[in-house]
Amino acid sequence: MSGSDHNPAGEAIGAKAFVPSRRAVLVMGAAAASTVVTIRPALAQTAGSIINCEIPVPGPHAGGNFIAPDGNLVAPGTPGAAAPLSRPLRGEEVRSLLRSGSTPAGVDPQSAQAYANYIRRLQSGMSGFTCYASLQMPR
Amino acid sequence: MAGPVFATDPEAQVSAVELDGLSVLFHAPSGMTHIVAAPAPQILDALRIGPADAGELLARLRAWYDFESDDEVADAVDARLEELEAAGLVRRA
Repeated sequence: MSGSDHNPAGEAIGAKAFVPSRRAVLVMGAAAASTVVTIRPALAQTAGSIINCEIPVPGPHAGGNFIAPDGNLVAPGTPGAAAPLSRPLRGEEVRSLLRSGSTPAGVDPQSAQAYANYIRRLQSGMSGFTCYASLQMPR
Repeated sequence: MAGPVFATDPEAQVSAVELDGLSVLFHAPSGMTHIVAAPAPQILDALRIGPADAGELLARLRAWYDFESDDEVADAVDARLEELEAAGLVRRA
């Protein structure tokens, strides 16, 4: 039925690490016992780090590029695009920007949405991603 | 009669490392890491066959394993599903 009958100890039907070896004894534990401990990312546990982490807009890899309203990087001087920010945004500023659209101090309100969209497009490995990801974590 | 039906994420979305009797699971969709003990990994394996309610899940586990004691096994399955759901490793289908 499940295809698990020929599964002495080697080939897993599911996760590699957990081989349901046939007829092993499984201890289900007491109803009151707990078998799961969740580790929250260290950044999410530390409010200070969220407030203080920084996101350069754009990152060093794109130094000098402008940012289109949709958040994509474009050539310097592209009409309608926002100039690079002269300073990185702090985590707390980014959180306010993304949640309520409030413009960080010293930032052109007309360009704030472009910066917000750039941040939303950050991916793992890009400067500022860890800071952005930590802002998304549930507390 | 039949209780809620539970499902879990495909193996590709959960990286697992076995460590000295415990298993560390990185759940990519949530970015959360969990340390789990048996029978949590076995329950996840059984749910990867397809969504199941507690009764069906228990039947699948019985096909693979003996239980140390049959007393209160059904209650234990309910408790394990509840905590896996709270951790985000299992959801109601």
